[in-house]
Amino acid sequence: MQIDRFVERDIVITTVKGRLDSSSSHKLDEFLATVPEGSSALVLDFAELTYISSAGLRVVLKATKLARGAGVPLVICGLVPQVHEIFDVSGFTSLIPIHANRESALAALP
Amino acid sequence: MSTREIELRLPNELSRVEPVMDALEDFIAANAIPARCAGRLMLAVDEFLANAIEHGYPNGRKGEIAVHLAHAGDHLKLVLCDDGDPFDPFTAPPPDLTGTLEERRVGGLGIHLVRNLASSFAYRFEKGRNVVTVTVALADEAHP
Repeated sequence: MQIDRFVERDIVITTVKGRLDSSSSHKLDEFLATVPEGSSALVLDFAELTYISSAGLRVVLKATKLARGAGVPLVICGLVPQVHEIFDVSGFTSLIPIHANRESALAALP
Repeated sequence: MSTREIELRLPNELSRVEPVMDALEDFIAANAIPARCAGRLMLAVDEFLANAIEHGYPNGRKGEIAVHLAHAGDHLKLVLCDDGDPFDPFTAPPPDLTGTLEERRVGGLGIHLVRNLASSFAYRFEKGRNVVTVTVALADEAHP
Protein backbone atom coordinates (compact mmCIF):
# COMPACT_ATOMS: atom_id res chain seq x y z
CA MET A 1 0.00 0.00 0.00
CA GLN A 2 1.18 3.52 -0.77
CA ILE A 3 -0.21 6.72 0.74
CA ASP A 4 0.33 10.19 -0.74
CA ARG A 5 -0.97 13.59 0.23
CA PHE A 6 -1.64 16.64 -1.97
CA VAL A 7 -3.09 20.04 -1.13
CA GLU A 8 -5.29 21.84 -3.65
CA ARG A 9 -6.69 25.23 -2.50
CA ASP A 10 -7.03 24.40 1.21
CA ILE A 11 -8.34 20.91 0.48
CA VAL A 12 -6.15 18.04 1.63
CA ILE A 13 -6.28 15.07 -0.75
CA THR A 14 -5.02 11.70 0.44
CA THR A 15 -4.53 8.98 -2.18
CA VAL A 16 -4.20 5.32 -1.30
CA LYS A 17 -2.79 2.78 -3.75
CA GLY A 18 -3.05 -0.99 -3.41
CA ARG A 19 -4.82 -2.89 -0.62
CA LEU A 20 -6.34 -1.48 2.55
CA ASP A 21 -6.70 -4.59 4.69
CA SER A 22 -5.95 -5.97 8.14
CA SER A 23 -2.18 -5.86 7.49
CA SER A 24 -2.00 -2.32 6.10
CA SER A 25 -4.92 -0.33 7.54
CA HIS A 26 -2.98 0.82 10.64
CA LYS A 27 -0.65 2.83 8.35
CA LEU A 28 -3.55 4.87 6.98
CA ASP A 29 -4.96 5.15 10.50
CA GLU A 30 -1.73 6.79 11.68
CA PHE A 31 -1.64 9.00 8.60
CA LEU A 32 -5.20 10.27 9.20
CA ALA A 33 -4.88 10.59 12.99
CA THR A 34 -4.98 14.39 12.89
CA VAL A 35 -6.87 16.84 10.69
CA PRO A 36 -4.15 19.05 9.12
CA GLU A 37 -4.12 22.62 10.44
CA GLY A 38 -5.91 25.07 8.14
CA SER A 39 -7.58 22.46 5.94
CA SER A 40 -11.05 23.35 4.65
CA ALA A 41 -11.97 19.81 3.54
CA LEU A 42 -10.50 16.32 3.27
CA VAL A 43 -10.71 14.09 0.21
CA LEU A 44 -9.85 10.40 0.28
CA ASP A 45 -9.05 9.55 -3.34
CA PHE A 46 -9.36 5.77 -3.65
CA ALA A 47 -9.07 5.57 -7.47
CA GLU A 48 -6.05 3.26 -7.15
CA LEU A 49 -7.32 1.32 -4.17
CA THR A 50 -7.80 -2.25 -5.42
CA TYR A 51 -9.32 -3.78 -2.32
CA ILE A 52 -10.72 -2.84 1.11
CA SER A 53 -11.67 -5.00 4.12
CA SER A 54 -13.58 -4.19 7.30
CA ALA A 55 -10.28 -3.10 8.89
CA GLY A 56 -9.97 -0.46 6.15
CA LEU A 57 -13.61 0.60 6.58
CA ARG A 58 -12.99 1.09 10.31
CA VAL A 59 -10.15 3.53 9.51
CA VAL A 60 -12.36 5.44 7.07
CA LEU A 61 -15.17 5.67 9.64
CA LYS A 62 -12.79 6.88 12.34
CA ALA A 63 -11.29 9.54 10.03
CA THR A 64 -14.78 10.73 9.06
CA LYS A 65 -15.82 11.10 12.70
CA LEU A 66 -12.59 12.96 13.48
CA ALA A 67 -13.09 15.36 10.56
CA ARG A 68 -16.72 16.06 11.48
CA GLY A 69 -15.68 16.67 15.08
CA ALA A 70 -13.25 19.30 13.76
CA GLY A 71 -15.97 20.83 11.54
CA VAL A 72 -14.21 19.80 8.32
CA PRO A 73 -16.10 17.88 5.61
CA LEU A 74 -14.62 14.58 4.44
CA VAL A 75 -15.54 13.04 1.10
CA ILE A 76 -14.42 9.94 -0.78
CA CYS A 77 -13.89 9.60 -4.52
CA GLY A 78 -12.88 7.17 -7.24
CA LEU A 79 -14.15 3.86 -5.88
CA VAL A 80 -13.61 0.96 -8.31
CA PRO A 81 -16.61 -1.45 -8.56
CA GLN A 82 -15.24 -4.13 -6.22
CA VAL A 83 -14.48 -1.51 -3.55
CA HIS A 84 -17.77 0.34 -4.11
CA GLU A 85 -19.61 -2.93 -3.53
CA ILE A 86 -18.00 -3.29 -0.09
CA PHE A 87 -18.96 0.29 0.82
CA ASP A 88 -22.55 -0.47 -0.29
CA VAL A 89 -22.92 -3.69 1.70
CA SER A 90 -21.41 -2.08 4.82
CA GLY A 91 -23.97 0.71 4.69
CA PHE A 92 -21.19 3.33 4.47
CA THR A 93 -22.49 4.72 1.18
CA SER A 94 -25.27 6.48 3.08
CA LEU A 95 -22.92 7.87 5.76
CA ILE A 96 -20.11 9.44 3.74
CA PRO A 97 -20.41 11.48 0.51
CA ILE A 98 -18.92 9.50 -2.39
CA HIS A 99 -17.97 11.08 -5.72
CA ALA A 100 -17.11 9.38 -8.99
CA ASN A 101 -13.73 11.07 -9.30
CA ARG A 102 -11.47 13.74 -7.83
CA GLU A 103 -12.72 16.49 -10.18
CA SER A 104 -16.35 16.07 -9.12
CA ALA A 105 -15.34 15.81 -5.44
CA LEU A 106 -13.40 19.10 -5.65
CA ALA A 107 -16.20 20.77 -7.59
CA ALA A 108 -18.69 19.87 -4.86
CA LEU A 109 -16.56 21.33 -2.05
CA PRO A 110 -16.64 25.04 -1.15
CA MET B 1 -1.96 -25.76 -14.87
CA SER B 2 -0.62 -25.73 -11.32
CA THR B 3 -1.89 -22.23 -10.58
CA ARG B 4 -5.53 -23.42 -10.84
CA GLU B 5 -5.25 -24.32 -7.16
CA ILE B 6 -3.19 -23.01 -4.26
CA GLU B 7 -2.57 -24.02 -0.69
CA LEU B 8 -0.92 -21.65 1.78
CA ARG B 9 -0.01 -22.16 5.42
CA LEU B 10 0.83 -19.49 7.93
CA PRO B 11 1.48 -19.17 11.66
CA ASN B 12 -1.19 -17.27 13.63
CA GLU B 13 0.58 -13.90 13.34
CA LEU B 14 -0.98 -10.83 11.75
CA SER B 15 2.34 -9.95 10.11
CA ARG B 16 2.11 -13.19 8.08
CA VAL B 17 -1.19 -12.25 6.42
CA GLU B 18 0.37 -9.84 3.93
CA PRO B 19 2.38 -12.50 2.02
CA VAL B 20 -0.82 -14.59 1.78
CA MET B 21 -2.66 -11.64 0.23
CA ASP B 22 0.27 -11.14 -2.19
CA ALA B 23 0.04 -14.81 -3.21
CA LEU B 24 -3.73 -14.42 -3.71
CA GLU B 25 -3.16 -11.41 -5.97
CA ASP B 26 -0.73 -13.50 -8.04
CA PHE B 27 -3.34 -16.26 -8.30
CA ILE B 28 -5.99 -13.72 -9.32
CA ALA B 29 -3.73 -12.27 -12.03
CA ALA B 30 -2.57 -15.69 -13.32
CA ASN B 31 -6.17 -16.91 -13.62
CA ALA B 32 -7.64 -13.61 -14.89
CA ILE B 33 -10.25 -13.66 -12.10
CA PRO B 34 -12.85 -10.86 -12.63
CA ALA B 35 -12.48 -7.83 -10.35
CA ARG B 36 -15.61 -8.29 -8.22
CA CYS B 37 -14.93 -11.98 -7.67
CA ALA B 38 -11.35 -11.11 -6.74
CA GLY B 39 -12.53 -8.47 -4.27
CA ARG B 40 -14.92 -10.91 -2.57
CA LEU B 41 -12.25 -13.60 -2.41
CA MET B 42 -9.66 -11.28 -0.88
CA LEU B 43 -12.28 -10.05 1.57
CA ALA B 44 -13.14 -13.58 2.77
CA VAL B 45 -9.48 -14.53 3.24
CA ASP B 46 -8.52 -11.31 5.01
CA GLU B 47 -11.55 -11.25 7.33
CA PHE B 48 -11.26 -14.89 8.40
CA LEU B 49 -7.50 -14.79 8.90
CA ALA B 50 -7.77 -11.57 10.94
CA ASN B 51 -10.64 -13.01 13.02
CA ALA B 52 -8.90 -16.31 13.72
CA ILE B 53 -5.60 -14.65 14.63
CA GLU B 54 -7.25 -12.00 16.80
CA HIS B 55 -9.72 -14.19 18.70
CA GLY B 56 -8.85 -17.86 18.24
CA TYR B 57 -5.60 -18.15 20.15
CA PRO B 58 -5.82 -16.71 23.68
CA ASN B 59 -2.75 -16.29 25.91
CA GLY B 60 -0.31 -16.15 23.03
CA ARG B 61 -0.86 -19.75 21.98
CA LYS B 62 0.92 -20.67 18.74
CA GLY B 63 -0.99 -22.25 15.90
CA GLU B 64 -1.25 -22.75 12.17
CA ILE B 65 -3.83 -21.67 9.62
CA ALA B 66 -4.25 -23.22 6.17
CA VAL B 67 -5.82 -21.50 3.16
CA HIS B 68 -6.85 -23.63 0.19
CA LEU B 69 -8.29 -22.14 -2.97
CA ALA B 70 -9.43 -24.01 -6.07
CA HIS B 71 -11.70 -23.67 -9.09
CA ALA B 72 -15.04 -25.48 -8.67
CA GLY B 73 -17.06 -25.11 -11.88
CA ASP B 74 -18.31 -21.53 -12.17
CA HIS B 75 -17.15 -20.74 -8.62
CA LEU B 76 -13.98 -20.47 -6.61
CA LYS B 77 -13.98 -22.57 -3.47
CA LEU B 78 -12.03 -21.32 -0.49
CA VAL B 79 -11.35 -23.48 2.56
CA LEU B 80 -9.76 -22.00 5.68
CA CYS B 81 -8.67 -24.30 8.54
CA ASP B 82 -7.32 -23.13 11.87
CA ASP B 83 -6.42 -24.91 15.10
CA GLY B 84 -7.70 -22.07 17.30
CA ASP B 85 -10.53 -22.30 19.83
CA PRO B 86 -13.78 -23.66 18.34
CA PHE B 87 -15.79 -20.76 16.93
CA ASP B 88 -18.58 -20.63 14.35
CA PRO B 89 -18.28 -17.14 12.83
CA PHE B 90 -21.71 -17.38 11.22
CA THR B 91 -23.49 -17.42 14.58
CA ALA B 92 -22.26 -13.89 15.37
CA PRO B 93 -25.08 -11.30 15.52
CA PRO B 94 -25.28 -9.00 12.49
CA PRO B 95 -23.95 -5.46 12.96
CA ASP B 96 -26.33 -2.50 13.19
CA LEU B 97 -26.05 -0.74 9.84
CA THR B 98 -28.78 1.82 10.45
CA GLY B 99 -27.31 4.26 12.98
CA THR B 100 -25.96 7.71 12.28
CA LEU B 101 -22.23 8.23 11.78
CA GLU B 102 -21.77 9.07 15.46
CA GLU B 103 -23.58 5.93 16.63
CA ARG B 104 -22.05 3.57 14.12
CA ARG B 105 -19.75 0.84 15.35
CA VAL B 106 -18.22 -1.73 13.12
CA GLY B 107 -17.87 -4.88 15.24
CA GLY B 108 -18.95 -7.95 13.26
CA LEU B 109 -18.81 -6.04 10.00
CA GLY B 110 -16.26 -8.34 8.34
CA ILE B 111 -18.42 -11.46 8.68
CA HIS B 112 -21.48 -9.49 7.55
CA LEU B 113 -19.64 -8.49 4.36
CA VAL B 114 -18.54 -12.05 3.62
CA ARG B 115 -22.05 -13.44 4.25
CA ASN B 116 -23.55 -10.95 1.84
CA LEU B 117 -21.00 -11.22 -0.94
CA ALA B 118 -20.22 -14.95 -0.97
CA SER B 119 -22.41 -17.43 -2.89
CA SER B 120 -22.31 -19.86 0.02
CA PHE B 121 -20.58 -20.27 3.37
CA ALA B 122 -20.35 -23.12 5.86
CA TYR B 123 -18.63 -23.92 9.13
CA ARG B 124 -17.67 -27.22 10.71
CA PHE B 125 -15.42 -28.27 13.59
CA GLU B 126 -13.46 -31.30 12.54
CA LYS B 127 -10.50 -33.11 14.11
CA GLY B 128 -9.80 -30.20 16.42
CA ARG B 129 -9.90 -27.62 13.64
CA ASN B 130 -12.29 -24.87 12.61
CA VAL B 131 -13.08 -25.33 8.92
CA VAL B 132 -14.75 -22.47 7.06
CA THR B 133 -15.78 -23.03 3.44
CA VAL B 134 -16.76 -20.09 1.25
CA THR B 135 -17.66 -20.13 -2.44
CA VAL B 136 -17.53 -17.06 -4.65
CA ALA B 137 -19.09 -16.80 -8.12
CA LEU B 138 -16.62 -16.28 -10.94
CA ALA B 139 -19.15 -14.22 -12.95
CA ASP B 140 -18.54 -10.49 -12.61
CA GLU B 141 -22.08 -9.61 -11.60
CA ALA B 142 -23.02 -6.77 -9.27
CA HIS B 143 -24.37 -7.52 -5.81
CA PRO B 144 -28.21 -7.49 -6.03
